[in-house]
Amino acid sequence: MEETTINRIEELKDIANEVRFRIVDMVYRAQSGHCGGSLSAADIVTALYFEIMKINPAAPDWPDRDRFILSKGHACPVQYAALSLKGYFPLDELGTFRKLHSRLQGHPVAGKLPGIEVTTGSLGIGFCEGIGLGLDAKLRKQDWRVWIVLGDGELNEGAVWEAAQAGSKFHLDNVTAIVDRNRLQNDGFCDDVMPIEPVVEKFRVFGWETYEIDGHNMSEIVRTLHVARQVKGKPTCIVARTVKGKGVSFMENVRDWHGKAPNSEQYEQAVRELRGGRT
Amino acid sequence: MNLPRAFNPTRRAFSEQMASRGAESDFAVFESDIGYSTYSYLFGDRFPERYFNFGIAEVSTMAAAAGMASNGRTVFVAGYGVFLTMRALEVVRSFVCYPHLNVKILSSHGGVTAAIDGVTHQATEDIAFMTTLPEMKVLCPCDTASAKAAFDLALKTPGPVFVRLMRDPLFELYPEGTSFALGGSKVVREGSDITIAAYGDMVFEAIDAADRLAARGIRAEVLDLYSIKPVDWAGITASISKTHTLLVVENHQARNGLGTYIGDALLQTGASVRYDHVGLEDRFAESGDYRGVIETYGLCATNIEAHAKKLLATNQGR
Repeated sequence: MEETTINRIEELKDIANEVRFRIVDMVYRAQSGHCGGSLSAADIVTALYFEIMKINPAAPDWPDRDRFILSKGHACPVQYAALSLKGYFPLDELGTFRKLHSRLQGHPVAGKLPGIEVTTGSLGIGFCEGIGLGLDAKLRKQDWRVWIVLGDGELNEGAVWEAAQAGSKFHLDNVTAIVDRNRLQNDGFCDDVMPIEPVVEKFRVFGWETYEIDGHNMSEIVRTLHVARQVKGKPTCIVARTVKGKGVSFMENVRDWHGKAPNSEQYEQAVRELRGGRT
Repeated sequence: MNLPRAFNPTRRAFSEQMASRGAESDFAVFESDIGYSTYSYLFGDRFPERYFNFGIAEVSTMAAAAGMASNGRTVFVAGYGVFLTMRALEVVRSFVCYPHLNVKILSSHGGVTAAIDGVTHQATEDIAFMTTLPEMKVLCPCDTASAKAAFDLALKTPGPVFVRLMRDPLFELYPEGTSFALGGSKVVREGSDITIAAYGDMVFEAIDAADRLAARGIRAEVLDLYSIKPVDWAGITASISKTHTLLVVENHQARNGLGTYIGDALLQTGASVRYDHVGLEDRFAESGDYRGVIETYGLCATNIEAHAKKLLATNQGR
């Protein structure tokens, strides 16, 4: 099994922090977007783009690449930040997020921006698209993988469970879903809006190999993603316990930061916390 | 009407063509536990490795098709029109049409042709939804030859294509091997007094109506608008330049069907033409035998004949 060194884990933590800064900066400049669910997924998405996935930013359509799907499409600032830092497009372009004629649409759109594999944004659908992609890899007898990041509120959608059945039926061991279990959704705590526990057990009884991890512990994330690669005969689901708004103190665990842009004072405080004030 | 009875419905002819083309093209077929009704199993029997049954789950079936198509493979999704175009409508819109993917929809039980099953299984608003979606092309063959051609057109036309098919076998109109084109139409009866334009099963009712009108000295031209989007404007224009009178007939809600689209376009061009359409009059049908349902709800030759006479008696558009 592949391993990641302790030094590399420290580098990944630094990259995740830079991804977080770019998220807040992007949403601040757009004065629109979703900070909370982008920040909670930052460590997972960083681990995937900078350590786990077989990708090449210089050849975004390379047929053997791994495919990443952000099924919780509203958290696209985290994907745009990671893609840009990885070299898929210039960092300057992050300033165009949600603006007219931008390739950085309000939710990810395939075919506009290098690195976006499928259009997402309507919750539950990206996960289903990932199942179709995983099937195609099997049909082509190719060994690339599909990595899907889902929200926990998204698990309310029935289509997720339809596709979970299909992933199991078709033995898609090339598909890994990571649930960003930040416990908050648009209207409040998941437990109040629509209780979804036991999430791990649900995926297990749907036939998926399951793991539960701390979604902000980089070495645990990376280790588990390496393990997920090795599973044979069934898809894997990693339920990552996270904190919505992670890294910006006043955004953490606050419902209001699901889809709100910071004002200038809030922005400056966030930058102090994430980068010691350096923009 | 002097046409041979069809042995198979268009849903079967389309699926037979799908199975016969499976060896020369690497498309996949997705379906939602309805394969013996759509006859998509004919493909599945020959190409099991490319045939996927997602269970009774139209939304995820369509979305998984989008996922597979995003990787460059053409996917046919087979099912009943009412479920594919309504339950899965948002997926078709945002994840098939918006990204312009090669997802082709085999939509069985179009219109009230699922008559016996009742309203829950009758797709009588599908054309409104599908023609409204940017990027979507819409076809509706009426017999075996045109259904087989519709498969070939769907396969070779880039992007999403919706093909409306019928539950019951009706008549055979075209010789095997007749050519059909996206954006084409066929003049199936020539006439100079009125143009009756129809698609799918209503082509046969229109022909029957033309026979009835002929007995009263009215020469009706019948157009088969098998390509609903894009529609054959040149063909329509050529016909109405002779007849100055157009009656569109469809097994669909009259509101927001092909008739509404054509009528609106005619108003915009300021064409000097008398116009009317026949369809479901803002109501649901019910269970019953096919003939009984279409006659009860006015989707039949006698009602077309009545509309034609009334239209010819007006000075509208002149």
